[in-house]
Amino acid sequence: MAEPDAVQTFEEGLAEIRGAYAEALRAAGDEPELRLINAHFVGPQGDLTKLLKLMPKLPGNRRRELGQAANTLKQEIQATFDDALQSIHRAAREAELTGPALDASLPGRWQMPGRLHPITRVRNDVLDIFVSLGFDVADGPEVELYENCFDKLGFPPDHPATDEHDTFFIQGDSSSDAESVLLRTQTSTIQIREMMKRQPPLAIVSPGAVYRRDDDATHSPMFFQLEGFLVDEDVTFAELKGVLTLFLRRLFDEHVALRFRASYFPFVEPGGEVDMSCVFCRAWEGDRTRTAECRVCKGSGWMEILGCGMIHPVVFENVGYDPEKYTGFAFGMGLDRIAMLKYGIPNIKLLYENDVRFLSQF
Amino acid sequence: MLVSFRWLQELCPVDADVAEVAQRISLAGLEVEAMDEKGENLSGVVIAEVRARRPHPKREELTLVTVFDGEDEHEVVCGASNVPEPGGRVLFARPGAVLPNGIEIAARKVGGIESRGMICSEAELDIGTDVDGIFVVDAHSRVLPGTGVAEALDLHDVILDVGLTPNRPDCLGHVGIAREIGVLFGVGYEPKKAAAPRRTFVAGRSFQRGEPSTELSPLWDNQSDTVDAPKLPAISVEIADGDRCPRYGAALVSGVKVAPSPFWLRYRLHNLGLRVLSNVVDATNLILLEWGHPIHGFDLARLRGSKVVVRLAKAGEKMATLDGVERTFTADDLLICDGEGPVAVAGVMGGLDSEIHDETQDVLIECAYFDPRSIRRTSRRLGLHTDSSHRFERGVDPEAIPQVLASASSLIAELSGGAAATTAIDRVAVPYEARSIRFRPSRAAQLLGTPVSKLESARILRSLGCRIVQQSDDTITANAPSWRPDLRREVDLIEEVARVRGYDKIPTAVPRVHPSEAGTPGLLRFVDALREAAVTSGLYEAVNYGFLSIDDLRSARVSDAAVPLANPLSEERAVMRTSLLPGLTAAATRAQRHGAAEVRLFELARTFHPGGDVLPREDTVLAIALAGHRSGWIGGERPFDLYDGKGVIQAVVDRVFGQAPQLVQGQVPDFLHPKRSAIVTLASRPIGFVGEIHPDVGDDLGLIGRVVYAELDVPGLYELSEQLGPTQARGLPKFPAVVRDIAMLVREEFSAGEIAEALRKASSGLAESVKLFDLYRGDQIPDGHRSLAFRVTYRDAEGTLTDKRVDKVHSSLAKLAGDRFEATIR
Repeated sequence: MAEPDAVQTFEEGLAEIRGAYAEALRAAGDEPELRLINAHFVGPQGDLTKLLKLMPKLPGNRRRELGQAANTLKQEIQATFDDALQSIHRAAREAELTGPALDASLPGRWQMPGRLHPITRVRNDVLDIFVSLGFDVADGPEVELYENCFDKLGFPPDHPATDEHDTFFIQGDSSSDAESVLLRTQTSTIQIREMMKRQPPLAIVSPGAVYRRDDDATHSPMFFQLEGFLVDEDVTFAELKGVLTLFLRRLFDEHVALRFRASYFPFVEPGGEVDMSCVFCRAWEGDRTRTAECRVCKGSGWMEILGCGMIHPVVFENVGYDPEKYTGFAFGMGLDRIAMLKYGIPNIKLLYENDVRFLSQF
Repeated sequence: MLVSFRWLQELCPVDADVAEVAQRISLAGLEVEAMDEKGENLSGVVIAEVRARRPHPKREELTLVTVFDGEDEHEVVCGASNVPEPGGRVLFARPGAVLPNGIEIAARKVGGIESRGMICSEAELDIGTDVDGIFVVDAHSRVLPGTGVAEALDLHDVILDVGLTPNRPDCLGHVGIAREIGVLFGVGYEPKKAAAPRRTFVAGRSFQRGEPSTELSPLWDNQSDTVDAPKLPAISVEIADGDRCPRYGAALVSGVKVAPSPFWLRYRLHNLGLRVLSNVVDATNLILLEWGHPIHGFDLARLRGSKVVVRLAKAGEKMATLDGVERTFTADDLLICDGEGPVAVAGVMGGLDSEIHDETQDVLIECAYFDPRSIRRTSRRLGLHTDSSHRFERGVDPEAIPQVLASASSLIAELSGGAAATTAIDRVAVPYEARSIRFRPSRAAQLLGTPVSKLESARILRSLGCRIVQQSDDTITANAPSWRPDLRREVDLIEEVARVRGYDKIPTAVPRVHPSEAGTPGLLRFVDALREAAVTSGLYEAVNYGFLSIDDLRSARVSDAAVPLANPLSEERAVMRTSLLPGLTAAATRAQRHGAAEVRLFELARTFHPGGDVLPREDTVLAIALAGHRSGWIGGERPFDLYDGKGVIQAVVDRVFGQAPQLVQGQVPDFLHPKRSAIVTLASRPIGFVGEIHPDVGDDLGLIGRVVYAELDVPGLYELSEQLGPTQARGLPKFPAVVRDIAMLVREEFSAGEIAEALRKASSGLAESVKLFDLYRGDQIPDGHRSLAFRVTYRDAEGTLTDKRVDKVHSSLAKLAGDRFEATIR
């Protein structure tokens, strides 16, 4: 049923909206306000929506015309809304781009990674070098038989060569019987274990914890060693020198010089110790004043870095290799010492105190 | 060993300074660890003549002495009681002189009288030890006042500290090192004959008939006056155990007068670290330092029965040693006995009763060769490590005995005014046999990687004292010298050739390495991966000692069935750890005490458990400890709890396995909080545990706050990784997902995980994931309940899901939640 009042209400309503919307929308300060104002016109409860609900009451001859007018208005409102929204966005972006900067000095927000222990880092560095040269990694037990720690390595019985290995024995085993159980004093035990298990050619490095009954300013009762050995036919001392030169140059500096001194370890012969040019005063650069004042090498320009030698035939005999057929070399180093040299750690005890203030430095 | 460079130069002069000599011997294996110049730091100390002395007016223990230092007279206050008469000469430190102990001499008032300078003792100048006050210059000396003390007393020397390896007993005396220098500098060296004693006698009847003897006189460098043989009971030597004592020599010096040694001898012993006693004992020590061969002087009058018997002890036999300690022996200890009982522990220490004393007149000098192993066992058993045992256990030169005896008896006679017997008893139970060693230059070349000529090898071996007994085209057969017990087989000679030539002469080559097919064992690589994962997940690596105290284990409520050490350094480190917990949590607590607010530690190491086959079982464990607060972003801190533990475990395992582990309720270790802990599983297999430390345990361990602790079984994980194999890639979904939420009110007893899992299973395979995204307790939630909201992601691999289909499944999930978990859907 058509109502003449309805036409008037409709027309007046449209006129009112048409006169108000543009100013109202453009007055909005931000997006929520804009949307609120927009809803006031075209939302479910909006003025225009309410008018449209009057459509059925309009007389048929006007319905089409008025309907089109309402639709046009709706589109106009939408266009104005889009325009206003874009202005608001642009203004906001403009404000952000020209306004105050974020305080970049506030802390970052992420779970930071932890740190490897300096001994592990050095161990990894050393292993990487040897693995790239074709060596395998092996390990063995920390609690060992006397036999593997001394006898099979050629330590003569009742000999002062064991004096440097002040040994922890397991209760009930305090003598030097082959069957006695002890904490290994050197990773050379792994040499024996691997040679008993495998046949040449062998190229192995083995890092690990070792124990000696020394506890003072420069000794820790537990520390870390790394042992390496290579067995094949015709392995020479020259090759030992070559491998260690390559290794130390890669680990420290390609310029370091090496000095091989004769020394004694029961399981190698000829045996030696290796001095490396001091990496603290960079002795290879020849700055004599700097070297003279170096407290690490005490002015000598050299630092003792590892022990080495050709595997003693008695070791081959003990593991059942033919010492006439096979030769080999072995070397060993203190990972603690290398870590201390590399990172300038002044005191070995720092390595085992697990002070987070220390651990977080590496 | 301390070595006098001056003495070395006397024995084997070379045209090289001390630095060069030190370097050459270091490179050859005698490592010079330190050098100490003597006589260099005494400028300002001069010889001065005493001109007058008078008592101090106020202090009666002091004397006022006027000395003339060659330039001026000075009056000084002196506290010593042995100031010589005027005309006597003393050592005077002028004002301004700096003494070796750092004291600078300045004019100062002592008891009101100004003292200008100081009259010095031996100790004050570090040239000896004080016996009775200040040093008084020998009256026979012609040295003039004003002469520097270093020149006047001939103090210049350099003391080398040589770190000798245990294979080189020959270098435990100056003769041995001189020999080495002779070889290395190519000048050769032959020990000189000993200076002849001024007075000798023919021993004749001094030794019992039938005693084997050796003539000493040919070993002396010239003639001596012969005096009448003293009337002494005839001496005899008997070796009861020839394996333990293959050779025993005894020389005799009669008519000695025991007195202080002359300064040169005292000074030398002082510099070389030996205590100065009396002329006879000091002489034996000098011989020890010269030859590296310990000798021992017996007071002949105290040798009961004038007899020496070398035998094994009877178990329980006792004797007091020189140091005044009564020792009890076992049947494995070798003793030197007289006619009635023990007088010395062979090769280790003399007996108290037979030692040289002030009234000793006749000295029997022992010079023997003992079995090194026997001496070492006795020395260790008695805890007596002496200059003597140090050398015998390494092996002295058995063939040097006559020469050492000749030197010793001559020196003792010379210093003490006695007469030396021209022959010595020389009993040989087992004759020395030189080891004959075959040396192939070709083998040496093969081992060293550089050509080795036969000619050069032979020259080097000869210079070392080897006797070449045979040579063929490619072999040298050499007898090792008696002073080199370390030369036993070919490789020993190869080392000699290599080190005398110098290791620097060996070239550098790169070997051909045959990489193995197996490579590094997988477990070791896995351990490294785990360690990396732990670090990536925010953890700091700790390294603890493998041993701790049994109380640490008990407080932590971990297994106290531990591997005990027989000889721990302390009770604190007496057993091997059975768990990483005590060490790691203690480190965390220490860090907190140092002010660390957030402690995140891990350790990847071994634990030790008795009951392996022969050796204990060693387990590799990854342990994690979190303590303090997890830091949020500015002020968002909250204490670590189980979920942080879970998170870090998930991060670590996910990094290695590409999948996260689950936490399930189960039997956790006693040290964990029973309600804030869980078992960690991966692929339904237990791989460890995580939780907050039980508060009672935390108290016992002295932990601060709640500490979260987790362990993963490393070999177990590795085995699992081998079984699971590498992650297999899945194709990406082709059809879109539909996401629906479901919120419910449910009793606390149902875990979010089991509800989520049940929902997923009930979705007929459509729910790709069910994730908790909200958890709420509090207002409007009844006691014992909580509100859980899950987000369900639906996806059909075969096609696009319709709303209708999702609605149907989603409502079936709601029904399941209601039926199974008595949940009220919100």
